[in-house]
Amino acid sequence: MAAVLNTTAAVPLRVHAGLGEFVLRNPTIVLGVALLAIIGIAAVAAPLLTGDPMAISPSDRLLSPDAEHWFGTDSFGRDVFARTIQGARISLAVGLSVAVLSIIIGLVIGLVAGYYRRVDGIIMRFMDAMMAIPSILLAIALVALTKGGIGIVIIAISLPEIPRVVRLVRSVVLSTRELAFVEAAVASGSRDFKIIRRHILPSAVAPVIVQATFIIAAAMLSEAALSFLGIGVPPEIPTWGNMISAHKLYLARAPWTIFFPGAFLTVVVLAVNLLGDGLRDRLDPRLARRM
Amino acid sequence: MSNLTRRSIMQGGLALAGTIAAPQLALGQNGGGRTITAGGVDLTSYDPVVSTSLLTTYHAAKVYDTLFGLDLQQRPQPQMVSKYELSDDKLTWTFELRDGLKFHDGAAVTSADVIPSIRRWAARSPLGQLMMTHVKDISARDTKIFSIQLKERFGLVLEGLAGSSDGGCFIMRKKEAETDPAQKIDAVIGSGPFKFNLTETKPGAKYVYDRNPDYVPRKEPPSGMAGGKLVKIDRLTYMAMPDAQTAIAAIQAGEIDFYDEPPIDLLEQLSRDKNVKLQVLDQLGQNGLIRFNHLHPPFNNVKCRQAILYIVKQLDYLKAIISNPDYYKTCASSFGCGTSTENDANTGWFRAAPDYTKAKQLLKEGGYDGRPVVLLQATNWSIAKDAAEILADEMRRAGINVRLEPMDWAGVTARRAVKSSPDQGGWNVFTSTAPGFFLGNPLFSYHQANGEKGWFGWASDSKNEELRNRWVLAETVEERREVAREMQENEWNFVPQVLFGRWLQPVVMRVNIKGVQPNTFSWASPVWWNVEKA
Amino acid sequence: MGSYIIRRLSSAVPVMAIVAIIVFLLLHLAPGDPAAIMAGDNPTPEAIAQIRQQLGLAEPLWRQFLLWVVNLTHGDLGQSIVWGEPVTRLIAQRAEPTISLALTTSVFAVPIALVLGIAAAAKAGTAFDRCVMGFAVLDFSIPLFVVGYVLIFLFSIKFKWLPVQGYSPIANGVGPWLRSLTLPTLALGLPYVALIARITRATMLEVLSEDYMRTARAKGVGSARLLLKHALKNAALPIVTVIGMGVGFLIGGAIVTETVFNIPGIGRLVVDGITRRDYPIIQGVTLILSGVYMLVNLLVDLSYALFDPRIRY
Repeated sequence: MAAVLNTTAAVPLRVHAGLGEFVLRNPTIVLGVALLAIIGIAAVAAPLLTGDPMAISPSDRLLSPDAEHWFGTDSFGRDVFARTIQGARISLAVGLSVAVLSIIIGLVIGLVAGYYRRVDGIIMRFMDAMMAIPSILLAIALVALTKGGIGIVIIAISLPEIPRVVRLVRSVVLSTRELAFVEAAVASGSRDFKIIRRHILPSAVAPVIVQATFIIAAAMLSEAALSFLGIGVPPEIPTWGNMISAHKLYLARAPWTIFFPGAFLTVVVLAVNLLGDGLRDRLDPRLARRM
Repeated sequence: MSNLTRRSIMQGGLALAGTIAAPQLALGQNGGGRTITAGGVDLTSYDPVVSTSLLTTYHAAKVYDTLFGLDLQQRPQPQMVSKYELSDDKLTWTFELRDGLKFHDGAAVTSADVIPSIRRWAARSPLGQLMMTHVKDISARDTKIFSIQLKERFGLVLEGLAGSSDGGCFIMRKKEAETDPAQKIDAVIGSGPFKFNLTETKPGAKYVYDRNPDYVPRKEPPSGMAGGKLVKIDRLTYMAMPDAQTAIAAIQAGEIDFYDEPPIDLLEQLSRDKNVKLQVLDQLGQNGLIRFNHLHPPFNNVKCRQAILYIVKQLDYLKAIISNPDYYKTCASSFGCGTSTENDANTGWFRAAPDYTKAKQLLKEGGYDGRPVVLLQATNWSIAKDAAEILADEMRRAGINVRLEPMDWAGVTARRAVKSSPDQGGWNVFTSTAPGFFLGNPLFSYHQANGEKGWFGWASDSKNEELRNRWVLAETVEERREVAREMQENEWNFVPQVLFGRWLQPVVMRVNIKGVQPNTFSWASPVWWNVEKA
Repeated sequence: MGSYIIRRLSSAVPVMAIVAIIVFLLLHLAPGDPAAIMAGDNPTPEAIAQIRQQLGLAEPLWRQFLLWVVNLTHGDLGQSIVWGEPVTRLIAQRAEPTISLALTTSVFAVPIALVLGIAAAAKAGTAFDRCVMGFAVLDFSIPLFVVGYVLIFLFSIKFKWLPVQGYSPIANGVGPWLRSLTLPTLALGLPYVALIARITRATMLEVLSEDYMRTARAKGVGSARLLLKHALKNAALPIVTVIGMGVGFLIGGAIVTETVFNIPGIGRLVVDGITRRDYPIIQGVTLILSGVYMLVNLLVDLSYALFDPRIRY
């Protein structure tokens, strides 16, 4: 935390001679993107690929994987393959929504806190307080004490991420403000909004993008943890967390009900983390110590 | 003042006795034979009057004694009472307490403790409330003899005291018994066969009950909540285990001796394990319950409620939720099956379901306009959760615009009390379970139809209430059966709720646990007296 | 130094106050009603109203808050609605398992993570480095409860080596205590190792690239000695920071771990409290855990002065 982010060190993505070289130089990015692309395409094409993920058929319950049900069926006789693929849409959507929501709010608050020193103290004390409350506790309480639903889950997971984004953005603002050209712009009487947009925001882009990937990964795990505790996304919606949570009893009897959603969740989180690592190394090697 | 001092000295003495006894108990624990560890759902209250939760009732049945207890045939039998009689005009019951009854603080149980205990119980118990409307006075003749004087004849006094409509009338000390019935008691001291060990207990994690060495059991053999309560172990430890998977693994590994409610899907796995055995304690079982809100559209309209009768296919619920056909049966009686009130009046709908054409037609006649129907779903209780998911699926097929609202069970209990319309924080329907013991009793809340004063959903039907009054006044078993038939005929017309099947819930225990008695009260409670660990 | 401590402490006070307000408002503005739950299975509306009255829930919000704060200053966190016992007593009863778990997890995870992280940094870019980082990313991506169930399935059910669940107090012997904590520690420790190893590696790489390190290397100081003496000393500061940040992770992870392994700790206490709307328990535990988090981070900040003589306060 003592380190001041040196954004000028950010290395722009060079145009490489060929794809092959890019792959060799950025194995994690390529691996991450490839995994995500496969699952992403499956998610988008889910309605075409699979049957009805919600169709209940009690007489076909807990069938092991076979030609008809590639991933077997669950305790309601629903097709695990259909639900797992469908789950990709929702888990990814939750991850992305959380990232977008917490980045937007965090960005605004962080810019304000970093740029307007008078409100900085109050905002940061408030952020410190939010950081101090265990994030999973805050999320559980929010979901359990309200009506629940997917929107609340997204908000509940986003809230604890906001202070982290705020801190990141604020530190970028603080270090950028002191750069000569920004000080010059301030001195020449440019409007605040213009300074922020022209000079400060661009330096925040790289670290924020990297942070966003880690938020996506963390959000998908948080969603799964909330569902595991029985207070996540409505249980009829096939998220991977819900599928695992609903079948934890069947670990020994029907392991496929847990294995496939668990494997997909792990692979996607892994892919996003790899992508984040790769981006961080490319965009800003010094960002590592900030996570 | 002197009284206070004496009591505090006495408590000091007890505490000392406790420390001396402690090493022996610890020995017993290491020896294993005299301590039983049971696992199950967490207790939520110590007070059986404030909370009607079954778990609280089981807790109370260990710590407190009752005047009467229901035997396995659901007949009231004397427990703390030695002699009792009804006057010739059938208006005065006189009871005499038996010898040797002592509270855990050493004081004798007297009429002065019993009378406020009855009054406090009666303030909250369904049958107790009904009884009190017929009671002129409850008074003590001396320390051991007391009487209940009635204004008019009332045939269910002993049934009430024995807990036909609740867990039972547990006798507490005067001090606790005089607590406001809506407020919780602050000390757990009874005269029952077990003493509650507050020092060892960690609320929310484990509850410790020690054998009460001063308890004098009756001579009769044990039967249900009646008969001799002979404790054969030194200590019972009840562990709160919220995760069934963990609990099952724990009993297979021998870390606990007994588990309340093994998920039926895992019974096969358990039955292959030679170290554990399964036993169905409660032959009346559980019934799946779909409860409507009668105050708001669409289910304020009888046709719309009838429509649901035609879409609920019990077998689909049972297959998905219970899955093992050895333990489930469909059941068309509104009083559950295996109960004394079970009958087959007006069950044509049952053979017809599912009939979506009929259901759609009824919904149309009932004026269903496509508005969202709010279905509350308890996500941390798998039976209720799964049932809601299936019901939503069926309702959608019938063209109902269902909105599942997931929340934890605590959320459902708060939400179902809301009377405002569904779009203003209310609800239309929720899923739960009804123990056969209660469902079979026309007096219990499921069969109330007294409008907004009644149970959640606030069903209202004057004919139903008339029949319930007739049931109270009925004097013979045959007469009661006949009333129950008429009630069911009427209930399946106005449809206060729909049932999604009946199942038996076995308990699982290590093979060295002996003497666990069957029980009609409900599945999870072995009465821990008479149980041994070999 | 003294004045810094005072300054740092006094900045913690408003933060705790904000935490208290957030926690209080979150609970009291939420729609769940503890009275409805307390009233049992078959309550009348009058009974619910009466319980609300007795619990003080019928009072205006600001008065409830004021009363709560006044009691707080006396160290009184109130009484559990469900159990009628002081929240401080309940927390004290449940503290041992949670503290034990945090302790064993740290003892297990921190040394392994430091060794892995430093070794990976020293051999950056090699196959070894990639393996360590690959393991870390993977570890970080598997849900904790899945790891927990797999461990139970393997070590308790299949091989029967370790207990499935529960917690054996240290008073009953160190052996049983360690056995009961082995699987929970592994489940919680693996992602913790991953977290710290990643950050240690990154920090070490940064330190290794600093000018004075290059100078040292140019002077011909041996690489192992260099790593230990110079790099580690300078990396101590950020590593301590990481451990401070890890407290948040440990607290969150403990809640899930305690549920999987049925450990009667503070995490279970608060999850049960939430499902039962036991406001005083939720408030008390959240406040205390937040306090622990802040205290640890305070100590971390203060230890900067110790590790880094360049920082003067």
